[in-house]
Amino acid sequence: MTVSTNPGAAADAAAPTETHRSRGPLWAALALILGVALGIGIGLSIPHFTKPGDDSVEAGFLRDMSTHHAQAVEMSMIAHQKSDDAEIVYVANDIALTQHGQIGYMQAWLRDWDLSPTSSQEPMAWMPNSAGSIVNGLMPGMATPEQLTKLRAASGKELNTEFLTLMRQHHLGGIHMAQEAVKLSDNKDVDWIAESMVKSQQTELGLIDDLLKKVQAS
Amino acid sequence: MSTPGPERVPSSVKVTKTSGQGKPPAGSSAAKKTGGGKGPAGKGGGGGKGRKPVTPVKVAGGRNWGPIAVAGVVVLVAVGIIGYGVFAAVQGSRSWEDKVSEIAGVVNYRKQNNAAINDTSHKQGPQQYVTSPPVGGAHNSTPQNCSGDVYDAPIANEHAVHSLEHGAVWITYKPGLAADQVDVLKKKVEGQDYTMMSPYAGLDKNVSVQVWGFQYKTDDVNDAKIDEFIKDTRLVSALEPGISCSGGNTTTGPLQASAGNGAVMNK
Repeated sequence: MTVSTNPGAAADAAAPTETHRSRGPLWAALALILGVALGIGIGLSIPHFTKPGDDSVEAGFLRDMSTHHAQAVEMSMIAHQKSDDAEIVYVANDIALTQHGQIGYMQAWLRDWDLSPTSSQEPMAWMPNSAGSIVNGLMPGMATPEQLTKLRAASGKELNTEFLTLMRQHHLGGIHMAQEAVKLSDNKDVDWIAESMVKSQQTELGLIDDLLKKVQAS
Repeated sequence: MSTPGPERVPSSVKVTKTSGQGKPPAGSSAAKKTGGGKGPAGKGGGGGKGRKPVTPVKVAGGRNWGPIAVAGVVVLVAVGIIGYGVFAAVQGSRSWEDKVSEIAGVVNYRKQNNAAINDTSHKQGPQQYVTSPPVGGAHNSTPQNCSGDVYDAPIANEHAVHSLEHGAVWITYKPGLAADQVDVLKKKVEGQDYTMMSPYAGLDKNVSVQVWGFQYKTDDVNDAKIDEFIKDTRLVSALEPGISCSGGNTTTGPLQASAGNGAVMNK
């Protein structure tokens, strides 16, 4: 760094700067390229380390709850179409639209995370000690194919009773899963939707119980 | 400080680096540059400066390898992490079409751009399909229910193709396939939304699994490629994202005359 300086060169002080500026652009370009490459690399990799992975609790819950919700939508659509009770028709409408909307949220997050909306994992694999809760591939609270067939064939009081009974069971299973997700998930979006499911389905359970009493008394 | 002029020179020269100092006439390259850049004649001190022999500044002989090694390792680790992240990001965003196409034996009908297969219109009555089982084409307005539905008898192509449009994986098997083998397939469907299965008359292999535009046939129900196919295509193959697999026809057998106007929904 130190230089033997000719005192007489005072006036010349600026000269060497100009001489060597010719190499400046080269270094600047190199630094720029390096910086841009590093920036792109970090930008691409950071989201990967911050979003839930393919076998995470969050992804597992969103996939399984999508399937669980889909059946609630299916049963509600049947009741909406066939029930002769205005209150049941409305609660069925409510459940179908809410849960189908929530499926949209859940699928969109999986897509944001570059994950498949489905997986080949066993249902509920994200939940510890869940092995025994799956019967013929069905998650807790889900209606069996036989129960669905019966619901499709039913009408009048039988349909109303069957729908409310199946939906009561379905909500209980769904609330349990959502509560587990709240406990296990680290993602604020997942926590938010799971908490809202617990709250709204618990409220709906009260309504379903009231309707069941009314239908059975009729 | 106290003495103006000469005293202040070193600091300003220092900033502008070392080598150019006094070189012009001595070093050939430096001379060329200096000469081209600006004439030494212009400045009074230029000449005197040039005569002074100056030894080129040398980089210290012994390098300090310790910090260099540490820095190297840090850089390597950083590049590794970033590289993995980039790789994972690129890998994660690979399309499902690419993934399923890479499974050996899968036929990609979407690539063929066959108008008969690409046809998404609703048509009443029986339809002709160019593949067996069909993988796309005009279909009945009512889909077959595909929320993990296991049908024990053949279903109508016209309903099934509509389900494919909704993102369903349709597993078909040769009628008469041993019960324990059918059970293996059943396990892939039960409780799995956007799947359905049924026997299919006239199959050339024991199993054919299809989504809209892709098909894989095998004789082995335990063929791992069946699972791979399902994993890569289920739901994402939907032509209408967000659509459901429920609310469709749940009966088996050929197309009913009444089908096509929505009259069979949930019957």
